[in-house]
Amino acid sequence: MEKLVQLGRDMALLWSNYWPAYLGGILSTLILALVATVIGCVIGLICGILNTIPYNAYTPKPRRFLLKLIRVIIRVYVEVFRGTPMVLQAVFIYYGLPYFSGNSMRFDSLWAAAILIVSINTGAYMAESVRGGIISIDPGQTEGAKAIGMTHVQTMTSVILPQALRNIMPQIGNNFIINVKDTSVMFIIGFTEFFAFHRYITGVNNMYFPSAAIEMIGYLCMTLIASFILRWVERRMDGDDSYELVQGDSLVMGEGMYAHPNRGTPFDEYSKQKGTLEKASDKERRFSSKGGR
Amino acid sequence: MGNMILQVQHLSKSFGTNEVLKDIDFTVNAGDVTSIIGASGSGKSTLLRCINLLETPTSGEVLYHGQNVTGPKVNAAEYRSHVGMVFQSFNLFNNMTVLENCMVGQMKVLKKNKDDARQQAMLYLEKVGMAPFINAKPRQISGGQKQRVAIARALAMNPEVLLFDEPTSALDPEMVGEVLNVMRDLAGEGMTMLVVTHEMAFARDVSNHVVYMNGGVICEEGTPGEIFGSPKRQETKDFLSRFRQN
Repeated sequence: MEKLVQLGRDMALLWSNYWPAYLGGILSTLILALVATVIGCVIGLICGILNTIPYNAYTPKPRRFLLKLIRVIIRVYVEVFRGTPMVLQAVFIYYGLPYFSGNSMRFDSLWAAAILIVSINTGAYMAESVRGGIISIDPGQTEGAKAIGMTHVQTMTSVILPQALRNIMPQIGNNFIINVKDTSVMFIIGFTEFFAFHRYITGVNNMYFPSAAIEMIGYLCMTLIASFILRWVERRMDGDDSYELVQGDSLVMGEGMYAHPNRGTPFDEYSKQKGTLEKASDKERRFSSKGGR
Repeated sequence: MGNMILQVQHLSKSFGTNEVLKDIDFTVNAGDVTSIIGASGSGKSTLLRCINLLETPTSGEVLYHGQNVTGPKVNAAEYRSHVGMVFQSFNLFNNMTVLENCMVGQMKVLKKNKDDARQQAMLYLEKVGMAPFINAKPRQISGGQKQRVAIARALAMNPEVLLFDEPTSALDPEMVGEVLNVMRDLAGEGMTMLVVTHEMAFARDVSNHVVYMNGGVICEEGTPGEIFGSPKRQETKDFLSRFRQN
């Protein structure tokens, strides 16, 4: 118990001294994770569209070769960036590119480098998620779109991807939350986000445990809020369960609103079965219509 | 006879070693209502899907106004916008409302503006009796209603010919009537239609040309009177007598 009180006191002390640093870190983490997730989604969607361009026996050979090449390139991209740690990718891109290109390719801004690295890493994961999303959509949807003359890109952007995107929203949420936490490895190129400030602050005062506790709470808050927002977005995408009937012209009979021609004649089986109840209401109707005149 | 819209010449289709269509020849003239009948697995639907290029024929040609549409230099999307298709499983776009379903093709493919597309869509939705439901999503309406919307969606593209792939086979018996009525009206207005169906009464009363398929070949074709009244081939007689018993 004493330890806990001590921990609380240390955390309060750290927070009161360094709160601008912690908050700044949270802000950079969130911006980096959000921007990179969005760009990663775009990369994933583009990969999804390119991956599914159909070809058949009539497709000219060069075009068929190109389409196959595109699929191979996307496959290699996905396997490489999904199969290696992001820390190493960061080192390779941030230090490797200038080294191999004789400094002609280097990053002037840490932000640009960090966003690029996290984006292409997320893109590799998203490409697979989008592929799964597209597979999950009934092939009939594609056929319906093709049958009214839509091209592949029109089919994808108007019909398939909006539905696939809804199905992969949980995956996008996953990726965002992973990015919030995994951007912490960007310390390797000197990018200062939430976790980097922990390293700086503890470097000054050695209060490892209290600072780590603050970090834990900070990350958990970010991811919990993200979860709630994502659920809300999903509910918005599902839309309303009910809909309004549009009855502009009262003479147009919708489903289930037709009048049987026998109604009110001696051949009206429906009224006979209902018996007195129906007759009573008929009388009422007659009465009220008289009253109306 | 009138002008030929579609000509199918020596069309064959194999899935692996399974030859589904063998050397099919037939013609669709403007104003024709052609019914394709036959047992399940006789290749009726595959033929329709080949005509709309949803399947690639193994050999043979489909001519649209005399132009081959099965070659490498064909703009399949452009061709399909002239040939409407109604599917057994409706295939309405689940992410759109009834109205949007009927507008999206006009706006994206025919490049119409929103007001024109809406007007045209409403015209056909009223025709099929679905105007009150324009704000509903496909999952909220019944099978018969979905199929009527699908017909309106195809009509809104102003197609020259409309292909129906067993439009009533996925429907409850009480909903078959509402869809057949819409199709009957269309036929009465002179729409060119090619209908794969198991509704023998529709084939007999509404169409002016009946094609009986068996085992991937056209076994017999002719007017409804010829096919239903005095079929020449034994297979046709057997098939029709099976239907009469039911």
